[in-house]
Amino acid sequence: MKVYAIKRVLGLIPTIFVIISISFAMLHLAPGDPFSSERPIPPEVRANLEAKYGLDKSPVIQYFNYVGRLLHGDLGLSIFYKDYTVTEYILKSLPTSLTLGGLAMVLALSLGVTVGVLAALFKNTYIDYSLMGIAITGISIPLFVIGPVLQYVFALKLGLLPTSGWLSSINGWSAVIMPVVTLAFIYFAEIARITRGSILEVLKSDYIRTARAKGLSTRVVVVRHTLKGGLLPIVSFMGPTLASILTGSVVVEQIFRVPGIGRYFVESALHRDYFLLLGIVVIYAALLVVFNLIVDLLYVFLDPRIDYK
Amino acid sequence: MKSTEIKEPVITSVGSDNTDNILAEEAVKGGSLTKDAMRRLRKNKIAIIGLWIVGLYIILAITAPILPIHSFSDQVLSHQNLRPSLTKTAGQLLVESRIKSLMQQENVAEVSMLSRAAVSNYTEYSEMLALEERNLNGKLVMVNNRRYILGVDDLGRDVLARVIYGSQISIAVGIFGAITSVFIGTIIGAISGYVGGRTDYIIMRIVDVMYGLPYMLLVIMLMSIFGRNIFNLFLALALVSWLTTARVVRGQIMSLKNSLFVESARSMGASNLRIVFIHLIPNTLTVIIIFVTLGVPAFILTESFLSYLGLGVSAPYTSWGALVRDGVPSMSVYPWRLLVPSAAMVIFLFSMNFIGDGLRDALDPQDKKNL
Repeated sequence: MKVYAIKRVLGLIPTIFVIISISFAMLHLAPGDPFSSERPIPPEVRANLEAKYGLDKSPVIQYFNYVGRLLHGDLGLSIFYKDYTVTEYILKSLPTSLTLGGLAMVLALSLGVTVGVLAALFKNTYIDYSLMGIAITGISIPLFVIGPVLQYVFALKLGLLPTSGWLSSINGWSAVIMPVVTLAFIYFAEIARITRGSILEVLKSDYIRTARAKGLSTRVVVVRHTLKGGLLPIVSFMGPTLASILTGSVVVEQIFRVPGIGRYFVESALHRDYFLLLGIVVIYAALLVVFNLIVDLLYVFLDPRIDYK
Repeated sequence: MKSTEIKEPVITSVGSDNTDNILAEEAVKGGSLTKDAMRRLRKNKIAIIGLWIVGLYIILAITAPILPIHSFSDQVLSHQNLRPSLTKTAGQLLVESRIKSLMQQENVAEVSMLSRAAVSNYTEYSEMLALEERNLNGKLVMVNNRRYILGVDDLGRDVLARVIYGSQISIAVGIFGAITSVFIGTIIGAISGYVGGRTDYIIMRIVDVMYGLPYMLLVIMLMSIFGRNIFNLFLALALVSWLTTARVVRGQIMSLKNSLFVESARSMGASNLRIVFIHLIPNTLTVIIIFVTLGVPAFILTESFLSYLGLGVSAPYTSWGALVRDGVPSMSVYPWRLLVPSAAMVIFLFSMNFIGDGLRDALDPQDKKNL
């Protein structure tokens, strides 16, 4: 187990580098560059700009320069936003995204698992149908419809919550509610569906029958025996999902004007802001592989049949 | 529910030849896995309703050019943001708003209290509107006799027509995208699972790394490399979303490739290609069908998401996502511009998801106990 964990941690590094290299190559293959805009800039200015950011060298040298600086923890300068370095932008916006994503995930998980288990226990009854109806609604309605509708109802019509924004001295936590609920909604639906399916599967297995035959109460059978096995698919779903939810849902951040990292992600891709985009990719890749690792290690605790040797 | 159930043969006179024949026939029919699945699907009322709705959408999308609807791109600027109305023509709605503004000017509560000048003013106006002709695409059209049952957008285009033409693109992206991605995923997964060894290892590492690349980044990059158009849009989506299919198909093929029917095919001299494509892939059809049906709504969502961010289809073409984006800013004043495309999209996605779930339940042999 320890050997496996150490091996996996060492295996993370090449994965991150492959991801960075592919992103780097794609960025340079794409037509256009950070300085191509509607208004052409004089060639002398352009040459100066390219020299400043090191873009005048060949892509291969640029790549090694970038990786070299990355190993020193330097993510470079943003080309489009000139006020701060990439590291500063990420440090400024990542905590916001992490809070938004973390809260949404907690909400989605607690609701989703509860709903999924209830639906499974009451399979093919009206409870099941209505709960799963809600879940499928969650999967079918795009975020950018839920968000504006919530805004319209709770902010414009009822005036209960602020329309947009994030934690501030004026609004306090009230501004956090709508973005979190919106983001949680789709994941809640997904989690509820997966939970229902896997709990149904587990309920059919022999060890549950044994537990029942021992005369254990339904509560104990569900909580102690079924949940543990039934949560495996949820755990594997969580790995990649956590990374993407934590790096900020672009749409939610845009709708509610949340100052998270998602905003920079799309804008930097559109502006070909090489270093900012790569910086975000690095953070995303790191989070993703770390979460996947945690998920794999969690398996062992949840299912004793899995053994890494 | 009851009418769709296949009735058990009623045995009236035990031992008669007739009944035996029926029983034998039933047994043969029940034996086929596909028939079995179809029977279970037919029992699933919601999935069947979903199937009808999706069929209707597809027919509407295909027949859009011959449907009696207005053009999706012609702009009648005087009709900006007219509300939906089943009974009133555009001209009548314009007169209505004219009367309302006149009443406001004169500060009166009823039409009958309007001054004579105001009345003649609006009569003249309505006569003028009734006769007004507009040149649209070289044809003279009496635009004010038009009816807009789902309202008009901010550039004076019929929302109904835009939603129908938008569904063409959304549904096409969904279907072609899902089929392409599942196709790629099946081939790669089958090769990886069948060949095994180093090939399998390399392919699966590539898949792992691609899982690691941010999906949106890939799509945005592909769109900017190949240019923004509908074909590239679904190609970009397909290229980055075959991963899950590949993994699942690989798993299936790996568990099947050592089975007896593969061995006997090989012993009869079947080539590897033949074994993979004729014997193994058809056995994973269940997974493939489920991935396609559940892939369609996922693709439509992603497309709408890209359109919402402004990376999807470009004007004058439109899709559900683009329509929703256009509707959001003015939702408190002109709610239909948000609600109509949202409803069209949600109903379709809803139906597709129910069909997908129904198919999965019907095709999953593990669930057979619950027949």
